[in-house]
Amino acid sequence: MIRVRALSKEFSVRDNGGGVLALSDIDFEVHDNEFVTIIGPSGCGKTTLLRIIAGLIPYDQGEVAIDGRVITGPGPERAVVFQNFALMPWADVLANITFGLEVRGTPLDECRDKAKELVKLVGLEGFEKRFPKELSGGMQQRVGLARALAVNPEILLMDEPFGALDEQTRRLLQEQLLRLWEGQRKTVVFVTHSMDEAVMLGDRVMLMTPRPGRVKEMIDVPLQRPRSPQVEKSGAFVEIKEYLWENLRAMQVGES
Amino acid sequence: MKKKNLPVDWGLRLAVLIVAVGLWELFLRSSQNFLLPRFSDMASGLFHLLFAEARFWQALYISNQALILGFAISVAVGIPLGLLAGRFRWMDRILNPYVGVLLTMPVAPLIPIVIIALGLGIAARVFIVVLFAFVFITVNTRAGVRSVEASLIEMAKSFGASEGQIWRRIVIPGAMPAIFAGMRIGLGRAITGMVMVELLLVASGLGRLLLEFSGRMQSDLVFATVLAVIIEALALLAAMQALEKRITRWAPDASIG
Amino acid sequence: MKQETVPKAAVKSITARTVHGAPVLRRFARETAPEVLALLAGAALWEILGWSLGLQWLPPFSKVMEALAQFVGSGVILANLGSSLRGLIVGFSLALIFGLLLGSLMGRYRYVEKALDIYVHALFVCPSIVFAPIFFAIFGLSDASRIAIIVVYSMFVIVINTATAIRTVDPSLVEMARSFGCGETQIFKRILLPASLPLVFAGIRLGIGRAVKGMINGEMLIAFVGLGALAQRYGAQFDAAKVFAIAMVVLMIGLVSNALVQMLDNRLTRWAG
Repeated sequence: MIRVRALSKEFSVRDNGGGVLALSDIDFEVHDNEFVTIIGPSGCGKTTLLRIIAGLIPYDQGEVAIDGRVITGPGPERAVVFQNFALMPWADVLANITFGLEVRGTPLDECRDKAKELVKLVGLEGFEKRFPKELSGGMQQRVGLARALAVNPEILLMDEPFGALDEQTRRLLQEQLLRLWEGQRKTVVFVTHSMDEAVMLGDRVMLMTPRPGRVKEMIDVPLQRPRSPQVEKSGAFVEIKEYLWENLRAMQVGES
Repeated sequence: MKKKNLPVDWGLRLAVLIVAVGLWELFLRSSQNFLLPRFSDMASGLFHLLFAEARFWQALYISNQALILGFAISVAVGIPLGLLAGRFRWMDRILNPYVGVLLTMPVAPLIPIVIIALGLGIAARVFIVVLFAFVFITVNTRAGVRSVEASLIEMAKSFGASEGQIWRRIVIPGAMPAIFAGMRIGLGRAITGMVMVELLLVASGLGRLLLEFSGRMQSDLVFATVLAVIIEALALLAAMQALEKRITRWAPDASIG
Repeated sequence: MKQETVPKAAVKSITARTVHGAPVLRRFARETAPEVLALLAGAALWEILGWSLGLQWLPPFSKVMEALAQFVGSGVILANLGSSLRGLIVGFSLALIFGLLLGSLMGRYRYVEKALDIYVHALFVCPSIVFAPIFFAIFGLSDASRIAIIVVYSMFVIVINTATAIRTVDPSLVEMARSFGCGETQIFKRILLPASLPLVFAGIRLGIGRAVKGMINGEMLIAFVGLGALAQRYGAQFDAAKVFAIAMVVLMIGLVSNALVQMLDNRLTRWAG
């Protein structure tokens, strides 16, 4: 379980010695096996928050604890899926998937077996020896997902993973992600700017305020699991989405 | 992607060559300069050098000694410096002005000084080759390291990779294309250095041959020797590029031609 | 990984926003100062080693400066500098004219490119100095030889950059111009020319650097006048201080000419990213 208390983060801006307060007094919890989506207006700091939980950047005030232990950096219980895929262009699909395992010293044959398993899981059979530049955006992100799953994390941190993809690919990957998640219910923190995505995927949606980001509200999504694409037409879905949009629109800075 | 029409391309290139040789002959016929060899003279000169002149191969050997040693040292010095400058900002800051100076300053005026210091032997020639070449290797290596996307390093950190692992698995593979580009440029520079010092002061190897043929007005042999040097340079560079293509098959094609 | 998390007890003040001194000064102090310091440190080291080691080939930095001052005072530098620069200007101008012309043709017309690319590339990568004996054979001990060397040194990088610049102009811009009824010359003037300027200037900047090298290399081999000849002469006399001084002058030429091109570049391509 992830517990975040009174978290604040300031970025210093070069040249004038000032600072930008990105996150202020963030307070929330993510329970085991829960799928939480985070959404907020541009610049609200949602990606910063995710990177802090991932242990990639430090924070200034407050506390982030996982299963009771305060985090001090990346850890084996968490794995990240990146928005721009972050695949190594010089390695083929299999090598990219096994990267996390190899870094931890897993013997090579074990790595290979795990990779083959995951290739099947994400539907990339036949592409094991291909290089990233030969794959479409959706396929590349599936490699990213497989890589994260390969290290068997308890927590999956996903930073707008489908943001760089076209709508059709995005929907297909959302369905695939949901199917995978039903198979093994990891704890997921999923940052997005899409309201459809936030409601479709999450058990709860965390709505953030504009900068400095705070938690405006945690919204329950009582829609039935497993979610199917049909759920988008349901009354409850539309209601929650409208609620989100009302709030988000009111919060947009600089729009009329 | 435009379709490649190879026969037409090569036909054009051949045509250009023929026109160039034709112009050469024309120019010769009209000019009074008896020092200029005809294309056929140069060609036969080349034949003579390759097959009938032991001294040519001897000279080639002597010149290439300095080249190979010098280039090896340039790589051994240049790449680590570049890696460090790319990864650590403070190192980059300190090295930057000196690299800038070495890049813009022509090394040739310093050749006499190196000779004073190291004498007329192979040490001086090797040192000059290194001076000509290593800066370019450093600069390209540094650029290569800095071109590795920060998100890849972050990704590696997110999986718990140590500094050493980040170097081995992310930075160095990512910087490979640029490192090879630097080595290619460095090789060209090394050859320049080798020729420069031989022509200027240390009359040995191919430089000495050139001076000799020049002095004896044997211009067909002068041209032939120059052609030989050009062919060797192009061959070495093509070999380097082929090696580069094999090792960095994954990189987008940024080469010319 | 070193964790920089700050515990609650030692919390940084979030509200403090002090500005220390003018921003420009701060940036100068942070960025240029370390580099200048590194150079000064190097000069100081040179001075110390020069005095303490007493090597013939490493005179103290101050002696080099002395020689430089002497040159400037006695006018030796001026005469030879003038000669060198004249060759440089003529040679580089020729390289510019031929380079831009050839590069434009290659960039615009595929057949020209296909016909000439391997030759241009070969001439670009092979060490240009090897042509010195050839030019000497053709032109003898004259200015023409020196100028020809400068042309060979600098022309091809200009050709290649110009060709690439024109070839990589966004085709949708050309299409747009055509849709408004522009003819060939108009497209060249209004689209191709401005769009290719940044890369063309990159080539010109590289070209001037190579031209300076060609100037000095050529002079050391084939001239009786000019800075290169001076360097040869003092080198033969084992006068290291004077040779270093000349090297510095050449370095200055390189830096100044590069800065000039850079200034022109900045003015003309202010819009580029």
